[in-house]
Amino acid sequence: MAAANELITADAIEATEFMDLSRKYRVTGVPKTIVNETIEIMGALPEKMFVRQALDLPDETPA
Amino acid sequence: MALLSPQDEATLKNHLSVITLPVQLVLFTQVFGGSESGDVAKQIVNEIASLNDKVTVVEKNFVLDTEDKVKYGIDKAPAIVILSDGINTRMRMYGAPTGYEFVGLVEAIIVAGTSKIDLDPETMKWIQAVDKPTHIQVFSTPT
Repeated sequence: MAAANELITADAIEATEFMDLSRKYRVTGVPKTIVNETIEIMGALPEKMFVRQALDLPDETPA
Repeated sequence: MALLSPQDEATLKNHLSVITLPVQLVLFTQVFGGSESGDVAKQIVNEIASLNDKVTVVEKNFVLDTEDKVKYGIDKAPAIVILSDGINTRMRMYGAPTGYEFVGLVEAIIVAGTSKIDLDPETMKWIQAVDKPTHIQVFSTPT
């Protein structure tokens, strides 16, 4: 996603190495994704579902 | 001792052969007070770079290279910033890239080195329509 839009930054974080961050975002299982400090996505989702949730797009967005 | 087996090296070399653009892996590590994972990250990126001439490693000191930290927005170490022909792809990895993280690193290197993004055209439209700064953080573990 970051490679496709210069407004997007994507960090992959090793949860056990950065425990403070993991606690801050209540990472109890992986993968867990946080977008702009507000959106939380648990688990690995299919591509479209993940992007919809990450970008906070409504479900009715034409697919 | 190498982290990659000769067989893994051969497989990885084959995967990386699609790269046409120079890829720089900017590695931030902390010499004092840093964790062992900085050494592991260093070994991993160097082993990857040894398999393809277009992939190079640029080492930075997390404490001393403050200008670069600001430039790439790095606030913790070890960190790897992936550049495509010198341009920041805004794909960063924090911690030693082992296990699943290793796969992610290799995929990110291939995206940076080919400028090809393997996503559904519809998904790409949604992503390209983003018009405000968006920070995605994905937490994972090596296993």
